[in-house]
Amino acid sequence: MGAKRKHSEAIEESAEAEEYHKERREEEKTSRKRQVLASTIKNKDKRSAVYAKLKQEKKRDKRKKAKSREAAEKRALELGEELPPKKAPRTIENTREVDETVCKPDDEELFAGNDADEFSGILKQEVIPKILITTCRFNSSRGPAFISELLSVIPNAHYFRRGTYDLKKIVEYAKNKDFTSIIVVHTNRREPDALLVMGLPDGPTAHFKLSRLVLRKDIKNHGNPTSHKPELVLNNFTTRLGHRVGRLIQSIFPQDPNFRGRRVVTFHNQRDFIFFRHHRYIFETKETKLTEIKAKKTTEKDKEKEDASAPQGKTIARLQECGPRFTLKLVSLQHGTFDTKGGEFEWVHKPEMDTSRRRFFL
Amino acid sequence: MPRTIAVDCPGCPPIRALTFDTLGLIKVIEARRVDGNQGNVSSPKVVERWGEPNSSNCILAASIDDRRIDPLLALARKSGLIEVINPLNGDIRVSAKSDVGSDDDSVVGIHLFRRERSESSSSRSHTLLTTTTKGAATLRSLELADSSADSLISDSLKTWRVCSSGDVSCSAVDGNECFALYGGKGVEVNVWDLEKCDKIWTAKSPPKDSLGIFTPTWFTSATFLCKDDPRKIVAGTNNHQVRLYDIASQRRPVISFDFREASIKAVTADLDGNTVYFGTGSGDLASADMRTGKLLGCFIGKCSGSIRSIVRHPELPIIASCGLDSYLRLWNTKTRQLLSAVFLKQHLNVVLVDSNFEDEGRAPYAVTEAPSNEEHEVIQNLDGEVEDGHVLPVKRKKASKDKQQNKLKPKKKNKKRVQAEGDG
Repeated sequence: MGAKRKHSEAIEESAEAEEYHKERREEEKTSRKRQVLASTIKNKDKRSAVYAKLKQEKKRDKRKKAKSREAAEKRALELGEELPPKKAPRTIENTREVDETVCKPDDEELFAGNDADEFSGILKQEVIPKILITTCRFNSSRGPAFISELLSVIPNAHYFRRGTYDLKKIVEYAKNKDFTSIIVVHTNRREPDALLVMGLPDGPTAHFKLSRLVLRKDIKNHGNPTSHKPELVLNNFTTRLGHRVGRLIQSIFPQDPNFRGRRVVTFHNQRDFIFFRHHRYIFETKETKLTEIKAKKTTEKDKEKEDASAPQGKTIARLQECGPRFTLKLVSLQHGTFDTKGGEFEWVHKPEMDTSRRRFFL
Repeated sequence: MPRTIAVDCPGCPPIRALTFDTLGLIKVIEARRVDGNQGNVSSPKVVERWGEPNSSNCILAASIDDRRIDPLLALARKSGLIEVINPLNGDIRVSAKSDVGSDDDSVVGIHLFRRERSESSSSRSHTLLTTTTKGAATLRSLELADSSADSLISDSLKTWRVCSSGDVSCSAVDGNECFALYGGKGVEVNVWDLEKCDKIWTAKSPPKDSLGIFTPTWFTSATFLCKDDPRKIVAGTNNHQVRLYDIASQRRPVISFDFREASIKAVTADLDGNTVYFGTGSGDLASADMRTGKLLGCFIGKCSGSIRSIVRHPELPIIASCGLDSYLRLWNTKTRQLLSAVFLKQHLNVVLVDSNFEDEGRAPYAVTEAPSNEEHEVIQNLDGEVEDGHVLPVKRKKASKDKQQNKLKPKKKNKKRVQAEGDG
């Protein structure tokens, strides 16, 4: 069949249309017979034949639709009209369940709440963040490597060996030493698998699942970060809970980045997974090379596009990834510092919440 | 086709609830009938917000005296301020700075007495009982005048120390307002007679278990089980246990059972005198029958944050719960179904229900519109119903007392006596 279709395409379009009409007529004839549902046909051969036909029809329709759309676009271009609007594909994110907890920019209570919360001191730059990083009791191989990279990512971070201390004791110690956050890297079978981020002295405790960790040396063409204070990008933390988690993350980093360092740390939230990336960027003005590329492209493409091309000597940003790469997923957010037994949770993930794929909490 | 809208909850009957949050805001949530008495009920909404957001204003405890005439609401703030407001319009009637507003000593419980305690000349004198973390319980008298300048909270009628060490974290006053109970971290549940101001009973911690491990005392919530009977106490511990104490029988818990893994943060008794509702630090809400100690069921509704307060509606079969997930949730107690959830943006500490709402809801209308005869009738009918409602508990009381007498005997020790009775 495919060969036949190709053949028909090779011939002129009109011929194809004719053929199409012919087929259509045939179909109409058969359609009366095919009023019965295909799935009710008991003979497998016949059933599969009907299915094959259905499938073929569907494919043809789709191709026809695409063709007509393309034609409309082309005509609009020729006539200088506005292009027909492109349809946005429906994704899980843009069909997300409506959530009343999504923060709105005109919510004064939100800002009042922000002023009153545990991080406001750090975020208003009254307190300089000072981070204590420690591990679980048994720690080896990728754990220490990950911590050494975290130390290079987070300024003013100090690693303390865990020893056999209780976490609550460590919290007390850190409070006395004026630390503002504690990060605990939990490893399981020599692989970091959880991250505990704790605000001090009374900030919340967030428990993240850590996955897909790639260390610096495993990243191709990685760069080595400088000791400048990084910039921070927090993406898509929309709900109240997300906002709070975002502020918790924000309170780990200093609020006055050195822009000369051109380091940027990204926490990108997508479908409740928080992706961590660490880059160094550079702005470059490569006139000659740019124009060359443009020239090549223009020869291939239409002439209209040449007019629309950007002015010469455009600056471009190039990224070089450095530092680790990992993914976080929030498991629970606890009110107060670490206390598993008597603690109060602000948010815990429960299985009864997973009744829809389109419900997100951050 | 993906479902892009949230599932609607069934509406709830007309109700008015007040929530108190960590920013010191008081929010009034009302569900009203849409048109007259047709039965169409709008979903609960925030109708009013009182106070300015400020973290030092955080409300720690509140108590309502929801009388038909001149209701009052007492609340304690983190800054040490004790305020008495009108729950209908939020006007501050009295506010006073308590002497206990120091750093690590804050009010954990406040109770506004419904009946007149002191037989003073003015009929508008009220009594307030406050308890602090360090265990200082204070009875204050309240003089209310027409303007807030004239009225005042007197310093203290009586003060006593509940405990010498430990932190008090819960307090409750029984239905007849004669007894108060306290419990906390390192403080066993103890009951005080409010007339004489002396301790009449203290609980004893349960014995060591088979491994010789002793769990330190840490009560996080407590309440009297029956409204009319101050002898039965239900307490929730940090060690995720719910315990029933009976003053009449023994000092150790009569019934004790575990519930899941998080500490019990709120316990509320039902009106029937044997059901309790309790909420945990990880957002589980359940009810149990305290006669048997069996779990009746859990309230399921995507409740994700610690439950700080549960309150039972005095007439309707509804409980309201609130907590750190900033939702006020209304549940049906019989079906354990979520009726409605309202997002209130802040961490909520206390929720209270205004039981006289049905006629209150009408009162503002009556002011704006000319009250028709029908409405008067409705109000009268309602009054009648309410009176019936008042009659009912008396009946219930009798029944419950009978039950207690029947029940106390077998419960007093253990099954031996029951068996003996059965044999005889």
